[in-house]
Amino acid sequence: MKDLKHLIYFENLLQEANNELVKQAKSEGKKALGYTCYFMPEALLDIDGCFSVRLRAPGCTSPDMATYYMSGRTCIYARSLLERALEGGYNFLDAQMATETCTGTCRFQEHLQMMDIIDNPDFFCEFTDVPFKKNETSIEHFTDQLQYHVLDQLKEHFGIDTSDEALLKAIELHNEVSSLITEIGSYRKKKKPTITGYEFQVIQLVSLTCPKYLILPYLRETAKELKTRKPDTKLNYRIKVVCTGSENDDPEFTKLIEGCGALVVADRYCYGSIPGREQIVVKKGEKPIHAIARHYIETSQCPRYMPQHVMRERKQFLADLVKEYGADGIIVFQNKFCEYWSYERTIDTIVMPRDFGIPVCSIEKEYINGASGQLRTRFQAFVESVELKKLQEGA
Amino acid sequence: MDFSVFEPAVSGAKELFSIEKKNVKEALTKLKNFDFANADYGKILHDFIYGKPHEERRLGDLYEDRTCLYKHREWRGIKDTFYYFNNIWLYNYIMAVKDIVTSDEPLAVLKGFWRYRWLGQGYMSVLHWFDRGLEGERGLGLRASAWHYRAMVCETIRQFSRLCAADSKLHNGQRNELWYKTFAHDETVAGAIFYPWRDRADDVPLQMVPYFVTVHVNANAVLSYIDAIQSIGLPGDPCPMCQAESGIFVLDDYPDYSPFLVTSNEACDASVSTSITTDWFFNRPLFAMPQPMQFDDPLVQKYCRKEIENCWKFIEEQTGMPFNKDEFLKHIKAFNEITEFEHEKWEVSAKTDYYPVNGVAQALYRIYSSQVGDRHQWHEIDAHVRKIMTKAVQNKINPYPKARHRVLAWSCAPMFYSFWCTWAYNCWGLKTVINMDSLMFDIIVRTDTEDHLMEDFTKFNEWAPMRRMAVGGYKHIFECWENYERFNCDMIMMYDQIQCKGMTGIHGMFEDEFRNRGIPACWMPHALDDRRPVTRAEIRNAINEYMSTVMKEEPLDPTLLEFDDEASW
Repeated sequence: MKDLKHLIYFENLLQEANNELVKQAKSEGKKALGYTCYFMPEALLDIDGCFSVRLRAPGCTSPDMATYYMSGRTCIYARSLLERALEGGYNFLDAQMATETCTGTCRFQEHLQMMDIIDNPDFFCEFTDVPFKKNETSIEHFTDQLQYHVLDQLKEHFGIDTSDEALLKAIELHNEVSSLITEIGSYRKKKKPTITGYEFQVIQLVSLTCPKYLILPYLRETAKELKTRKPDTKLNYRIKVVCTGSENDDPEFTKLIEGCGALVVADRYCYGSIPGREQIVVKKGEKPIHAIARHYIETSQCPRYMPQHVMRERKQFLADLVKEYGADGIIVFQNKFCEYWSYERTIDTIVMPRDFGIPVCSIEKEYINGASGQLRTRFQAFVESVELKKLQEGA
Repeated sequence: MDFSVFEPAVSGAKELFSIEKKNVKEALTKLKNFDFANADYGKILHDFIYGKPHEERRLGDLYEDRTCLYKHREWRGIKDTFYYFNNIWLYNYIMAVKDIVTSDEPLAVLKGFWRYRWLGQGYMSVLHWFDRGLEGERGLGLRASAWHYRAMVCETIRQFSRLCAADSKLHNGQRNELWYKTFAHDETVAGAIFYPWRDRADDVPLQMVPYFVTVHVNANAVLSYIDAIQSIGLPGDPCPMCQAESGIFVLDDYPDYSPFLVTSNEACDASVSTSITTDWFFNRPLFAMPQPMQFDDPLVQKYCRKEIENCWKFIEEQTGMPFNKDEFLKHIKAFNEITEFEHEKWEVSAKTDYYPVNGVAQALYRIYSSQVGDRHQWHEIDAHVRKIMTKAVQNKINPYPKARHRVLAWSCAPMFYSFWCTWAYNCWGLKTVINMDSLMFDIIVRTDTEDHLMEDFTKFNEWAPMRRMAVGGYKHIFECWENYERFNCDMIMMYDQIQCKGMTGIHGMFEDEFRNRGIPACWMPHALDDRRPVTRAEIRNAINEYMSTVMKEEPLDPTLLEFDDEASW
């Protein structure tokens, strides 16, 4: 396929958190708000006067200082974030909008609160409590939390206009970005997809880590470009897979999978677009803050949700994705030491083949994985096994 | 007739006989070498009557190699030896049998011994558990600590008797009346949630006996459960407590005793995830009762209260039994008395040297009683302990006169070696004054108005083990310093549960704070219920090294420094 015009530019933007567009937004007087989890609504943080940056620590392979503080037995993603913070990589942040959604990132953000790490006298880190259930009580609770711990804080610290009108404008911006990403991602559903999993992940990641209003023109152009992009005449993949699992902001990991012959057609993981790029709908008479809280509670597929029906719906959701994207199997991965996904992965590995007949490749990974020979072998073996299964079914 | 079935019993008896033969031989040799001419008969008589002084006890010499079974029982002086034998060993043996015989269905319990490995392995070794926790104890400390043990055994028997009586697996798959009247819940859901139904039904935590109690009594019993969950693909690093809880399902070793289940996100990510495996295996109506993480945020109280009310609604729907407010209040008030007495105990422990409860009894009793909620035996036992404590305070009796350091034990303790406190006192004179987990559920619930009642009950529910201190905001973990002062400690035993993401995730900050505050702190690595990654010997070694190299002290009883208990319960 023809190279995407902005791909290299996007790749460069992902080389560091404080990238060119972040610097530009800061120079325009906008406040940079860091966050780590889907449960911190980016739409709220992109309110006029601020912009959201979902934190990454690209290239961090040896978080030594962070290992002193968090030990070597915690999520390496969280440790990498702390390492990058200790190195000064997040000094551009004006605030960290924290969530206690998983222990690793919680501890990382608590270190930001406790230690004088961020070189910015006005920096603050504020925690929001996130419910474990999808019900009305949870939505009400989350609405109150977001109002107090996000909007009121932004108003108090930075004098940000947090009126309903300002929120509606932020939702509009979010919806436009989401609609473009969804459009770009929809080319993965084609019989012969016209975008690779790697390319899509790079695009999705820049939409999470760059100021929305600055990345938007590039996304529009990319979406337009994809309308006419032609697939290669000869298929350069052997099977299609849905990727699901814990945190993954490493496009090299997707490249590794695709290098083994498995085209990644859907990204249902933390930092992925499913969920993440759905439209926020404000119902008639509904307050925008309530709509945002409801949206994130209802769309999340996080394994920290405990109600029985939600746990079971997650499996159905995955099976539906496989069908919708025409995939041949699922790769379920988990960052080492992530407890939520340890269990979810184990159950997925049993339930998806047994109840839905979908082959699963189940792996445990590090934060940075591009050069892992062991993973390559696992993926190659999985591709071969799925091909063999298809051949047998054909026979 | 096939006599081979008797082979294990015969070989066991032979082994026992050879050990006894060896012991008798050793005793005879000692006697033969005894210097009768120059012996200090006055001292011998004194030691016989009152027991040897602490430094001369040589408790390590009593152990059989590897199993740590006693070659012979410890001589504690006439009074304490007979007290131990009659009032603790024999009394508890008799009561343990009596409690089963007088339970709902003794025959079902007997069947349970064959059906469930945790039941037999825990019950049969329980007196050894007493021995280890009360080793070297004398006087009032021996008496008060033993009462705590008795209460825990009584509650455990209540639980497993009910489990067996209601268990459809022990009744040919038939669900009896008790099955419909027994409520199952995660062991981390406070028993207090079920107070409103205690006049018509009973609640039994799903994992409390099969896992939690069992591992304290017999550390070998849970290993196969951990292996079982890993055998279906779970990595080895998540909290081993949650692993074992899930593994019991893999080996189909849970009783089927309830029409529904209440789960909780307490205490950590792995606990949330355990709900997932529980649901897939248990497969029946489940109510997830979340407890907010940032529990000191005033905004979360409304949410938490609503979820408690939703849980009560769920129970009403499942059972058809309406909520009984009077019953609820009755137990709340009764448990307030338990907490009030606990506060008195803490006061004595913090401000005097007369506190007659050892570290392990203090920690386990409080965690057990507050988690299970109001039960008659806590009141009975507290009455006994009150008498003993009053005597100690009034007569200024120090039950632990060899205490060199007052220790605050912080973070989550090794369940397979909860009696390390007893060892540490005997060997090094470390007196564990209070344990972090004792401080949970520390609230007197106001009952004067509906709002006060629910406000405090919500907090009670939030202040659960681990959540109260370890996870739920770093500020609470650092209450360590406040409690260090409050209990007049001069040393911290910092548990390093190597698989606890919450605590290891803040390891460095503790290191920094210990240094900045100049607090002597000894790190104790362990893997909670899994004795394999860090053995008891390695734990002892960590303490030994700290005491000799950092504190530069000599042991009180050098025979306890190193011994092999690899094969012990």
